[in-house]
Amino acid sequence: MRPILLKGHERPLTKLKYNREGDLLFTTARDKIVNVYYSHNGERLGTYMGHQGALWDVDVDPTSTLLVTGAADNTVKLWEVSTGRCLQTWEFNTAVKVSTFNEDADRLLVVTEARMGFQGTIHVYPFVIDLEAKQATEPILTITSPENKFTKAGFSYLSKYIIAGHADGSVSQYDGKTGELLKNVPVHDKEITDLQFAPDMTYFITTSKDKTARILDTKNLKIMKTYTADAPLNTGAITPKKDFIILGGGQDAKDVTTTTSRQGKFEARFYHKIFEDEIGRLKGHFGPLNHIVVHPAGTGFASGGEDGYVRVHHFDKSYYDFLYDVERMRPEN
Amino acid sequence: EDLAEESQASKELIAQRIRLLEEWRAWRKAVVAELEAERGGVVPLAQRGSEKEDEVIE
Repeated sequence: MRPILLKGHERPLTKLKYNREGDLLFTTARDKIVNVYYSHNGERLGTYMGHQGALWDVDVDPTSTLLVTGAADNTVKLWEVSTGRCLQTWEFNTAVKVSTFNEDADRLLVVTEARMGFQGTIHVYPFVIDLEAKQATEPILTITSPENKFTKAGFSYLSKYIIAGHADGSVSQYDGKTGELLKNVPVHDKEITDLQFAPDMTYFITTSKDKTARILDTKNLKIMKTYTADAPLNTGAITPKKDFIILGGGQDAKDVTTTTSRQGKFEARFYHKIFEDEIGRLKGHFGPLNHIVVHPAGTGFASGGEDGYVRVHHFDKSYYDFLYDVERMRPEN
Repeated sequence: EDLAEESQASKELIAQRIRLLEEWRAWRKAVVAELEAERGGVVPLAQRGSEKEDEVIE
């Protein structure tokens, strides 16, 4: 099936997010706006305007009532999903790289960048899913990492841990309540560019500029799987239903002038999650893929590119039918 | 001789894949059971209401 092309942004895409049901797709870009689309036909429902800088993250609570966004204008904003009204703004000293909820959306986690003498910091706020509520402005927990800046972070299952990816390629596990550092393990040789949990959050995937992706066990940070690509990776997602992962990346913008789009490797790559082999590629973008998300029901995926486009794919029968011989021989009972 | 070598290599590959599959499934089974016990039957908001997932796909 042909992908749906979404042309609602004028600058590179930075983040995509499906709501829990997967009927809505939120997109952020460097053009300071957030868009929301119906995922099945690509119709744009609305735009959230108010940020003064590039957007870096977006999350929506599980009831699709409230949206949080983080931006390079040093703010996190809270929006009413259905009207686009900005309800609240949190201000910080530096750019916001991550703004995300835990699984019950009773915690909001924000990562601010290390810059101008300020340390990279994880801030955790209590949160309530209530349009009328005044949300807490004082964090109940802050975590700093003076030596090794944060690139990504999120809460695990039961909000038991905070898992963070670092610029040096390592991953940290913090106690979700106290913020105590429990573990830090080397995972990649270069910066961690994405960190996405499996649906039940017991494992997660990291991608890196070192051209590899890895799956780690949330509980002990053991490296379970490694996937090797031929280009720097910006993003990786785990597919429900099928045992695949989807990776995206490509040559950095600064190197692209010397390469054609074919050489730039701007494809979504499918790997078998368990066997670690590459099993297919999907062309389409003409710049690096900055973010990939999979529909929560596993029926499709969306990719956002440096080229300013979002491509929404719905999987066809061949995707669901694909099995290795050994999987066919030994079906899961 | 080439054919014999090829068939040997393919046997090894199949054996390795079976091992990987079984290891993964055993790990998942243990992790899922442990998480279920920890959750004590409480389903997080992020996973509620998505039970209509088994629609027929064309």
